[in-house]
Amino acid sequence: MARTTLGLIAVFALIAAACVAFGAYFSYVTLLNAHRSVIEARFGIAAERVADVAEQAASLGIALPAQGTLTSLLDREARVEPAIRSMDLADERGIVLFSSDPARLGLAEAQDGGRGLTRPVRNDLNEVIGHVVVRYDPQILAAGAAALGDDLKVIALPALIGAGAATIVIGLLLAALLRRAARRAADPGAWPPAARAALAAAESVHREAARGFPPGKPTSGRASAAGAAPRPGESRRRA
Amino acid sequence: MIGLRGGITVAIVLILCSALAFIGWGAEQAAQRTIAPEILAKANTVARSAADLIGRAGAVGVPFDRLEGVGDYFESLRAANPEFAQISLVSAGGAELARAGDASAFAAAPQARIPVPDPSGRRLGDVLVLVDPTAVTAQVGAVLVDVAFIGIVSLLVALELVALVVGSRGIGALMAVERRLKALGRGVLARHEGSPGAAGALVSPIDRHVGALAERHAAIRAAAEARGDATALSRLADLETRTGLGRVQAAESEAAVAVRPALFLFMLAEELTRPFLPRFAQSVAAAGGSLSPDLAASLPIVAFMAVVALCQVPFAGLSERLGRRRGFVIGAMLAAMGYALSAVSPSYALFVAARVGTAVGYALVFVSSQGHVVDFSAGAARSAALAVFVRAIMVASLCGPPIGGVIADRLGAPAAFTASAGLALVALVVAFLTLPKTAWRAGAAAGVGLSDLKDAARAPGLMALLFGCAFPAKFLFAALCFLLVPLELQRLGYSSAAIGRFQMIYPVIMVLAVPFFAAMADRFDARGGFVVAGALVSGLGAMAMVLNPSIAFIVVALVALGYGQAMSIASQSALVADTAAALGGGRAAGVLGLFRLVERSGNAAGPASAGFLMASVGFALATALIGTVAVAGAALFALSELRMKQSPRRASSAAASEGSSA
Repeated sequence: MARTTLGLIAVFALIAAACVAFGAYFSYVTLLNAHRSVIEARFGIAAERVADVAEQAASLGIALPAQGTLTSLLDREARVEPAIRSMDLADERGIVLFSSDPARLGLAEAQDGGRGLTRPVRNDLNEVIGHVVVRYDPQILAAGAAALGDDLKVIALPALIGAGAATIVIGLLLAALLRRAARRAADPGAWPPAARAALAAAESVHREAARGFPPGKPTSGRASAAGAAPRPGESRRRA
Repeated sequence: MIGLRGGITVAIVLILCSALAFIGWGAEQAAQRTIAPEILAKANTVARSAADLIGRAGAVGVPFDRLEGVGDYFESLRAANPEFAQISLVSAGGAELARAGDASAFAAAPQARIPVPDPSGRRLGDVLVLVDPTAVTAQVGAVLVDVAFIGIVSLLVALELVALVVGSRGIGALMAVERRLKALGRGVLARHEGSPGAAGALVSPIDRHVGALAERHAAIRAAAEARGDATALSRLADLETRTGLGRVQAAESEAAVAVRPALFLFMLAEELTRPFLPRFAQSVAAAGGSLSPDLAASLPIVAFMAVVALCQVPFAGLSERLGRRRGFVIGAMLAAMGYALSAVSPSYALFVAARVGTAVGYALVFVSSQGHVVDFSAGAARSAALAVFVRAIMVASLCGPPIGGVIADRLGAPAAFTASAGLALVALVVAFLTLPKTAWRAGAAAGVGLSDLKDAARAPGLMALLFGCAFPAKFLFAALCFLLVPLELQRLGYSSAAIGRFQMIYPVIMVLAVPFFAAMADRFDARGGFVVAGALVSGLGAMAMVLNPSIAFIVVALVALGYGQAMSIASQSALVADTAAALGGGRAAGVLGLFRLVERSGNAAGPASAGFLMASVGFALATALIGTVAVAGAALFALSELRMKQSPRRASSAAASEGSSA
């Protein structure tokens, strides 16, 4: 019995701790996503501006490969933000047409494994004719992730240990109360009031039934069962 | 007396709420430390860019103090970046030359100040960007809302795990002690059946007293019978009724709800896939197919739903022949194989085939679980057991999408499918350990046949209910939740995790509101009215999308769908139950079979129509048109109800039918 109880409490403590760990990890992921979207919004401004210029030129009939001035624009926008490594304008097949980094001209974006933020360039028919790709320093995200991880670890570990420990303490307390209640129930004088009232009613009915009821005596068992007061001394024992 | 089970459940709720609130506080602090500086960094970037542009104007000879259109340019920057309260251009002498917005209400607003140089490098003035502090708070607040959702999911998962442990046979001794103490607390002096196991030493004194009392009672009763004392016998019988004296209290039967943990785990496996499935299907199809993206996203969902719908009726008999436990185990195995195959599918055709295999397993598990509950319960206990069954499904649909979304975002969709396969296998093991073994029954009933369905279709008013309300309800639900909303949110740039959180809106409302509306429908005896009102609310919510296709209206549509379905679903099941009861005999099974078939067909038709409409007319109009189907169906059913007023149905309780609405 004690082994079952302790095993059960240990399992409950594990469940509590696991769910806190689960909550902490998912909170970390949520913060990480929020952090990434703020960073990408920052770099997205430059990408949007280049895409706007390319779209305006395309609407005037200048094909994307002919927009030679985009190189200086990309260069300028990339210099505005020191964390930007390169800014490319790729055609609809992903081939880099213009870039702030001359070494990237002619490369296929798909073959480049680096992290990039992409904004589409569309023509007047809303067809995608190219993409602006911003490559930024992955260290920015990594540093943010590490800082968030450290912050949450400081919070999550005590919460996890606390939840497990609190579950064990409360479980032991409840188990002790249960055991105490079971031990007290060995003595009918210490039974709960409803059980004692039922017992008193049973004894009363049994006594009278054993003697034989006088004919026509009204039944009063319900009243006695519901309203039976504990015998003197019982309440003291209960206390 | 609350007992160890109840006490530990309450304790875990309190402990987890406190621990998760603490983590929420920590998340808020972390967000302030990381997100607020990033917003300021963004302000710096915008200011640098604007200063660069203004500097170039100077380089081509435009005097710094005569620049035109700077205010408009700043306004466009503010429109694109609402977290900036004010953007100003100030001269080196401090005069404000241009400005957009007004930050005078924010005394200590964080600011970015970037100098504008002339070609020689001399500072002409500054571009000043003031960040709106309330926008930072709002962004951190939005993160905290997400964290709160995660807290709810953690809590629900914990409670399901607690239920799993509490339902296990290993703690029978503890339950024996609790049962006796609870009985005494209620004034019940009945004997208890079953062995107390390891708790024998604790419970034997109680059992001895109660047993002695019961023996004395039996002896006195026998004596009274022998002498023909009618008054004594009446008093003794009254005593038995009030105290249970002389009776044996059966061990609490939880066989019917024993399927809950296994079913929860299995359903969770499927729900994990909801947020990323359309995107993943598109990516597999794009690898070498000629399908349009919307069709590629909808086809696996349609195939899954269609197979589940078609298998419901034949699998009822199959599951009975196999035995419920074997049916569950085989179904879970098939589904696990389907998930594993989905994770590694090299081609779109194989991926769709994997989803079909998963659907066959899903249908078998669903039917076997439902059959298990029905086999092991009767009367009012059946409604309660079915309600537990539905709650397990609803809680899984609440917890699954956000978890699946995060796994897909962090580790990729194949990893999330692998997690689903793992969960299906765990469900298999749990079902094997917790469900009672049943023998193979070769001659068991063959389930509901085609002729039963034909007979059922002739029941008065049934077809109007099925095609006016049941079909459109599932049609709208599946179209909106499984395809339209995920695809639109994906198009708007939301991650799988965020899509999963949007998908929680519907089940949260259902879990909270279904019992309330079911009770209301019973109280006002207006089940037909609730069905019509629910369909109108959900349909109009979807139709509102044409007004302004935005995030706010997507939330409105999901909330309206949740409340609409919560209003109608239990009443709808009660009306079907009324029709089945009115027909009686074997035709009742036909009515229920037809109901399931039509309802599940709605699940299949919804994503199919949504995929076609989205490709043809776009998200907003597709959503509105699908909402129109629900509204038109409600009107059809309302007309039919008016005609049916002449011959009212027998009344079943909507609250009791809550359990049959899964």
